Amino acid sequence: MPEVGFFTDTTLCIGCKACEVACKQWNQLPDDGFEFTGMSYDNTGQLGASTWRHVAFVERPAELPGQGSPRDGVEAGHRAFAELAPLGQAAPTSLLHDIAPTQLRTPVSLGPTQEALAGFSWLFLSDVCKHCERAGCLEACPTGAILRTEFGSVYVQPDVCNGCGYCVSACPFGVVERRADDGRAWKCTLCYDRLEGGLVPACAKACPTASIQFGPLDALRARAAERVDQLRARGVEQAYLYGEDAASQPGTQGLHAFFLLCDEPEVYGLPPDPVVPTAKIVRSWRAMATGVLSLAALALGAVFTARRV
Amino acid sequence: MLDPLQEAQASRDRRDIDPRVGALLGEAAAQRVRARAPAPRREPERPTPAQEAAPWIEEGPSYHGLPVLKEPVWGWEIPTYFFTGGLAGATAVLGAAATLAGGRGTGTLVRRCRLVAAGGAALSAALLVKDLGRPGRFLGMLRVFRPTSPMNMGTWILSAFGACAGLAALPALAPGAAALAPAADVAAYGAAALGLPLVGYTGVLIANTAVPVWQQTRNTLPILFAFSGAVSAGGLLDLWGTPGAGGEMAHRFGLVAKGGELALSRALHREARIVPRVERALRTGRGGALLAAARTLLAASALLDLLPGRGSRLRRAASGGLALAGTLAIRLGVVAAGRASARDPHATFEMQRAGRGAAELARKEEAAPGEAAPAMPSIPGVDATGKESSQHGAAP
Repeated sequence: MPEVGFFTDTTLCIGCKACEVACKQWNQLPDDGFEFTGMSYDNTGQLGASTWRHVAFVERPAELPGQGSPRDGVEAGHRAFAELAPLGQAAPTSLLHDIAPTQLRTPVSLGPTQEALAGFSWLFLSDVCKHCERAGCLEACPTGAILRTEFGSVYVQPDVCNGCGYCVSACPFGVVERRADDGRAWKCTLCYDRLEGGLVPACAKACPTASIQFGPLDALRARAAERVDQLRARGVEQAYLYGEDAASQPGTQGLHAFFLLCDEPEVYGLPPDPVVPTAKIVRSWRAMATGVLSLAALALGAVFTARRV
Repeated sequence: MLDPLQEAQASRDRRDIDPRVGALLGEAAAQRVRARAPAPRREPERPTPAQEAAPWIEEGPSYHGLPVLKEPVWGWEIPTYFFTGGLAGATAVLGAAATLAGGRGTGTLVRRCRLVAAGGAALSAALLVKDLGRPGRFLGMLRVFRPTSPMNMGTWILSAFGACAGLAALPALAPGAAALAPAADVAAYGAAALGLPLVGYTGVLIANTAVPVWQQTRNTLPILFAFSGAVSAGGLLDLWGTPGAGGEMAHRFGLVAKGGELALSRALHREARIVPRVERALRTGRGGALLAAARTLLAASALLDLLPGRGSRLRRAASGGLALAGTLAIRLGVVAAGRASARDPHATFEMQRAGRGAAELARKEEAAPGEAAPAMPSIPGVDATGKESSQHGAAP
């Protein structure tokens, strides 16, 4: 069984959240409470026990090379609606109020809405469990509930999980969450049941722009490298891959769900140099040995100095 | 036809799947949802934004200031367990040392140490069960032996310690068990040997997380927790008014440890301060307040001990009480600081940008050039990725 995973090309994401919906539907996840974040169009916020795909909406006061201007949108919209004009629907959007339709053929100054939108870009990222090659949750799990499947994914067995919450703190990406009313940890399973049946994970299947690509990791890596070259050739110099292999992310030895990003990882809420906590722990055990041995020496010192024969 | 009860339950589980149309078979079908209303959310204690604390510092980018990590889920039970476990382990060590030294006036100390060790182990197990919800979940930890997980190691240590400490305390608990005294002595030494890792492993446990302040202070935390255990052991026996030479032994043990503890709480800040943003969690908010209170309590306790003149019983008891409160506060403070640190995305970002993420490991490998392949450090003899078991179909 070849190892499979996701390549999420954020330049293709349009923020439609079809992946979120497909994931919820297929996996039969309960709702998150319909809360309003009030900060962007993202009302999901972050990955969690009942959110296994999350679309991040990044609003940046900077343009992405190669992106169209607001006027491109207005003109395209106007062309699309041109046929409807005789029916009295010449100005269906507020953007069109900024610009007189008769002036479209000649350059005009930007209206207030367009000015506000100039020098602006959207970045979308459909976030998911990364199924790390060295997974912090798997190594921390004290019950063996978290295991590596034959597909190379990291899977939490709900019938074994005892809800200790250690994986929650051990994940360097903040993916795993313990559900308060369930008491156990939950996260993306890479649609283990669908993979067993030879199907593509629900989010990848539902993605309308091929932003989420699923397949054998080797093939995905090759495709991702090609895509980066393509984008750079088009002038998107910032495009790079996040965590595609051990060389690019030594702390996790590479992700089975990696990303193509166009800005620093922090902008998307991803850690810049994540590390599986266990990799650093040997020194901590040594420090403990030093500490407790000095404690033993202290105890012996205390009893022998205070001893009365 | 669906009976009304089934129908009512189906609509209550926040999936809104009509059982006549679809069956609950998905990967998350086992997820239990008890309340229709969202679970009452604790008002999160936010770390002070950098702009407020120091307006000249510019914060780097983040995703709407949302946390990158999930907050540790542990309630008061776990830091309290750190306290009771440390207390039990350190008293077992002190008791065994006193047994070894022998001499006049140690009988009371030895008996009390064994009782505290056994009681502390029982209380620790009860706290862990309380945190997990039911006893069966504690046993789930014992289905594997997993060196990569300090929590799993700790569960084994606590279980074995509890057995030894319980046996060691039997003659003191049941008058009829006097015949067991030789076995109890052996068990007491066993409890001391296991008590040593029990006192310190909790520091490793929290250091083995992605929480910036815990990961950053991973070399100090285990020693700090070990000394906290010793301080609390000395403090409890002082409070209890342990008489004779044994009381003096416990007092000295606690007093020296108290000095070490105060120095180590400084060292904790020093290790965290390598990345200033990471240290903030130790200074501000609930964690900062608890840690400051802990230092004050410990310093007050040490001051009472060092006042000139032979200490009265009352003074000793007061000092012991202060020491106990201080060591409990230090555990609560470290856990509270961890929560604040996990909530602060900039702590994670700045730590990793400062080369304290995976880059730290790479640097160490360069410093000591060994094998050609820069493999990630892992516990020897253990397949960390879990691939071995998946390929051989063995249950983990």
